[in-house]
Amino acid sequence: MNPSSRFVQRYAKTQCLIHWVGVITFFALLFSGIALIFAPLSWFAAGGVSKLIHRIAIVPFVVLPILYVILIPRQARALIAESFTYTRDDWAWFKCMPAYFFGSTKNLPPQGRINAGQKIHHALTFVMFVSVSVSGFGLLFGKGRLGVEGLAFAAIAHDLSMLGLTVLLIGHLYFTLVYDALSAMVRGVVSEEYARMEHPKWVAELPENAFIVARAREK
Amino acid sequence: MARYAFSLDLDRCIGCAACTIACKTGNDLADNVRYIAVNKFMRGHIPNLFGSFAHHRCFHCEDAACVQVCPTGALSKWNGLTVVDAAKCSACGYCTDACPFKIPTLAAEHVSKCIACFDQVSEGAMPWCVQTCPSQALRFGERARIVTDLQARRATIKARFPAARLYGETELGGLGLIMLLLDQPQVYGLPENPQVPLTLTVWQRAIQPASVGLSLTALAVTGASFIIARRQHLREHARNHQTESLDQIGKDQK
Repeated sequence: MNPSSRFVQRYAKTQCLIHWVGVITFFALLFSGIALIFAPLSWFAAGGVSKLIHRIAIVPFVVLPILYVILIPRQARALIAESFTYTRDDWAWFKCMPAYFFGSTKNLPPQGRINAGQKIHHALTFVMFVSVSVSGFGLLFGKGRLGVEGLAFAAIAHDLSMLGLTVLLIGHLYFTLVYDALSAMVRGVVSEEYARMEHPKWVAELPENAFIVARAREK
Repeated sequence: MARYAFSLDLDRCIGCAACTIACKTGNDLADNVRYIAVNKFMRGHIPNLFGSFAHHRCFHCEDAACVQVCPTGALSKWNGLTVVDAAKCSACGYCTDACPFKIPTLAAEHVSKCIACFDQVSEGAMPWCVQTCPSQALRFGERARIVTDLQARRATIKARFPAARLYGETELGGLGLIMLLLDQPQVYGLPENPQVPLTLTVWQRAIQPASVGLSLTALAVTGASFIIARRQHLREHARNHQTESLDQIGKDQK
């Protein structure tokens, strides 16, 4: 069977759903927040429109990770365990990162379901999520009580965390589009070819019946 | 462009609080809103008592922290005065924390502070508080003239109040409300040397533009790299297919 016509489940449907709600939430927070720091978008903040959107979007932003753990605890445990376990291959992978950035998977050390880049991505996302949330709640509930130094400190932490998350998002989108990985979050599956190229350790652990033949729009 | 300022001569102030009522009535402020508060205080021991009035109101700083942090332009400078466009306010509350005098508050979902009776002043009239002050403690006009007059007043009261000084002549780029204090600023609950801290400037002038700039740079770099990376990936993809096809032919021949 041609590896490009077989697929393997990488994420559960609920993971995909939570991912897309997260995407909408993140963009809502990003653009309603940028309106406060980017003068050409200040019209969006004037009168409080962006503030309303920002406050509404805070709810799913904070609740989604909790829902993730409650609704799909097995997948959540696996994701956390895989994301925070580093091997020698991961460190070797980082040396090949420049070539990988420019589209080459040649000589990549074998990777599990989550590659070394994704592990760093997940770790940084976790750190930035905590700092953007803590500083954000500080700005929201401390209004008028922070003092000028407190305001500056919380706002700097909030802006830098969001800058970090935005750069991570851009990188995430970049690798998704370069390596045709969108199907992983649309239907939860990736092609066997992609899996063998980028995650051979994971493929080696999969039983033969894990591969399904499907009509695919994406690779 | 003119540079206006208020002056408050605390030797003349009788603490009648007519300014607070005139401001509230003239500006048609809601019950829970006021732009001026006057508090009487007393220090010392009989017979050496000293009493005066602490006025809590916008100083219209030239280097105004509230204007600096306002993301929508709801707070802006106009002829030396810090004016408010309530329709633009997003009620983010940054100004309430940034002001070194703790003047702005939020009321009815927008910033609440002295607007220097903008409508009156822009038509050449005096602000309500100045019009109403019965002892001429409050005045309004060209800042240079206001400063000169207050300096002359200080000279006349120096014998009675040796610690008398002008507050606002140079602070924060020169305030738009200059007070003739009868004692040290701390006695009136005012900071000796009000400042906009460096961290606030760093946030406004460095972190904010850097956040937007670096995000756009990341977008541009990945956009340009995408073309190279995508070509490389497609070449690799084609090579894989070629290998698969050759393997398949080999198997078929066997």
